[in-house]
Amino acid sequence: MREKLISLLVLVFLVSLTLSGCGGSSSNGGSGGKTDEKTITFWTPLTGDDGAYMDEMVKAYNATNPKFKVKHVVTSDMYTKIFTVMNSGKGIPDLAIIHADRVPGFVDKDMLEPLTDIMSAQPSINADNYIPQAWNAGTVNGTQYTVPLDIHSNAMYYNKDLLEQYGVSNFLDDNVITFDEMLSLKGKLKKGDYVVNDALISWVILAQIQNLGGDIKDANENPTVNTPEMKQAIEEIKKISDAGLMTPYGEDGYLMFQSGHVLFSTDGTWTSTAHAQVKGLNFGVTNIYSFDPAVFHNRASSHMFAMLKNDARSDEKEKGIADFLEWVRNNSIKWAEAGQIVASKVVFDSPEYQKYIQSFFTSSEAETNSLYIYTYKYYPEVQEALDTYSADMVHGKLDIDKGLKQAQKFVDDKIKEDTSGKSKK
Amino acid sequence: MKKFNLKPAIFIGPHLIFFIVFGLLPSLYGIYASFTQWDLVSDPVWVGLDNYKTILFDKDSTFSYQFYNGLKNTFVFVVASVPFLIIIPLLVAAALENKGVKLKGLFQAILYVPGLISASAAALIWGLIFNAQLGFTSNVFGMDIPWAANQPYAWIIILILTIWGGIGGNLIIYRASISGIDKSLYEAAEIDGANKFQKFINVTLPSIRFPLLYTFVMTTAGCFNVFVQPLMMTRGGPNQSTTVLMMYIRDLAFTSGSSIAGMASAMAVLLGIVILIISIFQYVLMMRNSN
Repeated sequence: MREKLISLLVLVFLVSLTLSGCGGSSSNGGSGGKTDEKTITFWTPLTGDDGAYMDEMVKAYNATNPKFKVKHVVTSDMYTKIFTVMNSGKGIPDLAIIHADRVPGFVDKDMLEPLTDIMSAQPSINADNYIPQAWNAGTVNGTQYTVPLDIHSNAMYYNKDLLEQYGVSNFLDDNVITFDEMLSLKGKLKKGDYVVNDALISWVILAQIQNLGGDIKDANENPTVNTPEMKQAIEEIKKISDAGLMTPYGEDGYLMFQSGHVLFSTDGTWTSTAHAQVKGLNFGVTNIYSFDPAVFHNRASSHMFAMLKNDARSDEKEKGIADFLEWVRNNSIKWAEAGQIVASKVVFDSPEYQKYIQSFFTSSEAETNSLYIYTYKYYPEVQEALDTYSADMVHGKLDIDKGLKQAQKFVDDKIKEDTSGKSKK
Repeated sequence: MKKFNLKPAIFIGPHLIFFIVFGLLPSLYGIYASFTQWDLVSDPVWVGLDNYKTILFDKDSTFSYQFYNGLKNTFVFVVASVPFLIIIPLLVAAALENKGVKLKGLFQAILYVPGLISASAAALIWGLIFNAQLGFTSNVFGMDIPWAANQPYAWIIILILTIWGGIGGNLIIYRASISGIDKSLYEAAEIDGANKFQKFINVTLPSIRFPLLYTFVMTTAGCFNVFVQPLMMTRGGPNQSTTVLMMYIRDLAFTSGSSIAGMASAMAVLLGIVILIISIFQYVLMMRNSN
C-alpha cells in the first residue's frame, strides 16, 4: 500500500513537472517570465544589435520610475508567435514593434487595436511630430493603428577612397548616382573590383518602379508584378551585371564592399554601424542609383509600435503605454546609434542627431520625400516574389519575361489562398 | 480482476505526455489543417481535398510547381548524401579498429564534434571557406567559382556541409557495433586465409547488419527533412534548383504575407507519406535481413 502511494505521488510530481513546462507564465499574457498587472510586456523582433539598443532605451525609461514599467522581450520568429498567441487568445503582449509592411494585413485580419486612446492620453503623439511617410504607413481608412519608431531605408554606401582612385568622386555632386554614370566605368576597373553589389536587390528594383512612375498594384487593388516598368527596371540593372560591373551572383557583395573592392553597396541604413567597425573603410552614404538625378527614391520600411487586440489590457495600462511612447518620442536619440532614421521630429531635428550618417536622409525635403514605404495590402507577397525571382533575372539565370510571368503567378496564387474576411474569430 | 500496475506508467508517463502534446496532437491537427484554407489567425475553412488536388494535379499552380520541384530537389539531396553518410563513417569505424591506429578517441572526437556545432554557424564558416573572393578554395587552390550560384557546385557545398556535420553520429554506432563482434570470427577467417578486405566484407558487414540497416533508415528519414543546409548555403538558388520541400513548406506557412498554412500542411502530409512509404520499405528489408 505504501509503495503504491509513493508511486502515485511520483507520477503526480512528474506529470505536474511536465505540464508546468507547457503552461503559460503569467496572468496577463507575458512571455518568458513572470509579469504582473503593473508591467507592460513589449515584444520586438530586434534580434540583432538593435535589440541591445532597445534594451538600453527601456532601461532608461524604467529608471524614470513610471507607473507601468516596460519589460522588453526580444522575440525571435515574432510574427509566428504573434499568430499563435492571437489564435489562442493567451499570452498576447501589451505592446509590440511590427514592420510597416505588416500593418494593412494585420488590420485586415482585425488583429490591431486603434491607437485613438493612446493619442488622446498623449496629444503630442500626432502626425505633425513624425516623418509623414512613417506616420501614414500606420493609417488605414483614416484610423491610426501604429506609432513609428523609425524609418529603415535602403541606402547606398560608397567607398570614398575607391571613388577617388578611379577619379569619379564627381558622381556624388548631385547626391544621385545614375545608371549611365555607373556604366561609364565599363572596362576601367581593376580585376576583382566592381562598381556596385547586388545586396537587397529587390529593394533596389522597388525603388526603380517608383522612379519609372510604376506601381505594384492597379486601380482595382490587384497586384501588378509583370509590368513594363518592372521589366525595364530589371533590364537596366541587368545591363550593369552584364557589363561585369556588379558583384558576381552568389558572392557576398556586402563583404566585398567592406573589403574595399566595391565602389557602391546598396544595403540598409542600419548597416552603417557594421561598416564603421571595418578598419580602413572610408565610406559615406547616398541615395540608391536612379535613371535621372531629378527623380530618385529609396525603398523604406518602418519599425512601428502597435497594440495587438487584447481584451485583458486595462485602460490604465494603455495610459502607461501612451506614457512610454511619449517618452520614446522625446528620447529616441539612442535609436540613432542603431543606424536607424529616427521617426520622431523632435529627435531628427536635433543638432545631436546630425552627427549620425543616416541624418543624410532627413537633411532636406527632397531627401525625406525620397523615402518610400509601400503600404499596399499585398506588398509582402510582391516582395517575396521579387526576393524569389529577381536575383536570377538580374544575373541572367532566368529569362526576364519568363521570370516576371512566374512572379506574377506566384503572387496571384498566394492571394487566392488569403482567407481574410472569409471567417474571423 | 486484473490490477492496474502503476510502476510502468511512471517510467513511460513523462515521455508519453510529451509525445502526445508535442508529437501526436500537432500531427493530427496538421492533417486536419491540410483539408482547410487557413491563415493561422482566422478559423480554418474546410475545403476538403482541394489543397491536394491543386498540389498534385493543377500543373499551372505555383504550389504544384513548388511541391514537385521541392520533392525532386529533396530526392537529389537524399540520393547524393545518404551513401556518403553511411559509407564514410563505416570505413572510418573499420579503419579505427586497426591495431596500428593510435589516438582512436581523438580521431573519433574530431569527427564527432562537427555534429555538435549548430548547422547555421557551420554554414557561415563554410560559406566563407567557399567564398570566391575571400575564401580558402579561391586563394589557395585558385578555384575562382561562385559556388552558391552555379550547379553542380551549389549541391557540392551543401553536401560537404552535410557530410562534415553528419558522419559523427553513425560513426559512434558503427564503432560500438564493430567492437562487439566476436573476435573468434576474425581468427577463424584468418585461419581460412582471408585477407583484410575479405574479413571486412564477410565478417564485419554481416555482423553489423542490423545497426547498418537501422542507420540507413534513420539517415534517409533525416535527409528527407533537410532544411538548414540549403537555406544557409545557397538560399535555394540558383533558380530554385536547391530549394527543398521543407523550405517551400516553411515559406508558405510562415511567410511575410498572409499565411497559407492549409496548403503547407498538405505538402507536409504528402512529404510525410513519402517518408513513411520509404521507411516501411526499408524496415521490411531490415526485418527480413535480421531474420
